[in-house]
Amino acid sequence: MKFLCLECNTAMEFKETATPDQGSLTAIFECPDCFAEFAMHMNPWETQMLKSLNVQLGGKSEAAQPMQMVRSFLSEKNPDNLTSEAPTGSIEGGGKCPFSSAVAEAFQEPAATGPVWTPEALERLERVPSFVRSMAKSSIEEFARENGHTEITTEVMDTARGNFGM
Amino acid sequence: MKTYKDLPADGGSNIVGQVTEQVNRLQRRLASVNHTVAIMSGKGGVGKSSVTANLASALRLRGQSVGVVDADINGPSIAKMMGVRGEQIDYGIDGVKPAISPLGVKVMSMDLFLKDDETPVLWESQTQRDAFTWRGTMEMSALREFLSDTEWGTLDYLLIDLPPGADRLPNLVDLLPNLGGALVVTIPSGVSQLVVKKSLTMAKKLLNAPVIGVVENMAAYVCADCGKTENLFPSGHTEEMARQFDVSLLGQIPFDPRISIAADEGIAFVDQYRDTPAGQTFFGITDEIRMFFK
Ligand SMILES: Nc1ncnc2c1ncn2[C@@H]1O[C@H](COP(=O)(O)OP(=O)(O)OP(=O)(O)O)[C@@H](O)[C@H]1O
Ligand SMILES: [Mg+2]
Ligand SMILES: [Zn+2]
Ligand SMILES: [Zn+2]
Repeated sequence: MKFLCLECNTAMEFKETATPDQGSLTAIFECPDCFAEFAMHMNPWETQMLKSLNVQLGGKSEAAQPMQMVRSFLSEKNPDNLTSEAPTGSIEGGGKCPFSSAVAEAFQEPAATGPVWTPEALERLERVPSFVRSMAKSSIEEFARENGHTEITTEVMDTARGNFGM
Repeated sequence: MKTYKDLPADGGSNIVGQVTEQVNRLQRRLASVNHTVAIMSGKGGVGKSSVTANLASALRLRGQSVGVVDADINGPSIAKMMGVRGEQIDYGIDGVKPAISPLGVKVMSMDLFLKDDETPVLWESQTQRDAFTWRGTMEMSALREFLSDTEWGTLDYLLIDLPPGADRLPNLVDLLPNLGGALVVTIPSGVSQLVVKKSLTMAKKLLNAPVIGVVENMAAYVCADCGKTENLFPSGHTEEMARQFDVSLLGQIPFDPRISIAADEGIAFVDQYRDTPAGQTFFGITDEIRMFFK
């Protein structure tokens, strides 16, 4: 797919991916001349296709991490093996794939009505290693929703943690 | 208005380029592997994984450097059979370090990523229906990662334990354009032979690699008391089939309960029981494979 700004007759460029709604991913494109933007909403099917191929929108500035697809999208993983971020510099320059992490993170976003994180709780979440962070985040949110908390405080985190046996 | 051809790329995503890069990465990795051998079967449960694991160990005992990829993403069993289930795997400098069996076979399997033996392979997706639709693609991506992101180093042999059936063969061809050959495992029952014929036909048609030969498993039973060999099924069918398809019958492995016991304990049967008829047959097949690539 390619996109053209009809106004300027210029090829539009990929800008960023945005929070999906119900399993769909949104890609935002921008015209480099007039800065007009538009959003492309992918259906869950297309979103899943990108996931399964482990390709990223917006081109590849950095190489994928080793076993990235397996590590990102396997539901229940062995907690001891490769659940952390790969050391940077692995596999030909390495680095992390902005698209898969965008997808992974995007899918963990709380629903519009979901619980809100207090700044303290968020700060503590930041200290969780980045790869497990999104998983931890979504588990805690789910816990909060199930237990009727509209706000996630550090106390809620503690209870959640006790609950998961973390 | 500018047309598709006038525009430089797909808005900067270059999906095709990325997929090409994945292919290149795979080829760079496998460049240091001398022979890649796929082990396939028509039916499930005929002993494909047991054969793979024991051939890997036998090759190793013959002084070869060996790796095994468990391409049975949904029903991984190689890690357990090779005694590396639950092994800690880690990042190396250029990928992930494989698990290493007591004999020194390098192993990569989905098993190593799962929490425990009961955990099924489930992919994250919005609904389980989506997960089902995309399962095949996810599995192939996982296999591609196993092949390309494992630090195999220099190998004489890389054995690939395929899932049963021929469904995944076409994708495998895309992943492994340099496949050295395929080995077909069968048991001497009528049903199994029928299915294996289909797989052989598929393999011959699809693979741009030769079929190294057929291995007949559970061919006969050796009585532990008197050493007499009894056939479990009417014999001769596999020879006939091999002749019909013009492939060689590499060996007939007798039924031996110790194969199963050793596998459960993660012990290499071929090492522990070298001098049994089954052990000797595994070494015989190993030598046939090495002859094939000479
Ligand atoms: N020659 C043999 N003698 C005795 N038991 C055997 C023999 N070969 C395999 N087995 C046993 O048969 C069972 C199936 O074998 P295995 O798992 O190797 O088959 P498979 O073809 O890989 O199965 P799947 O299709 O599930 O992957 C195992 O319990 C194994 O230990
Ligand atoms: Mg198997
Ligand atoms: Zn414009
Ligand atoms: Zn007897």
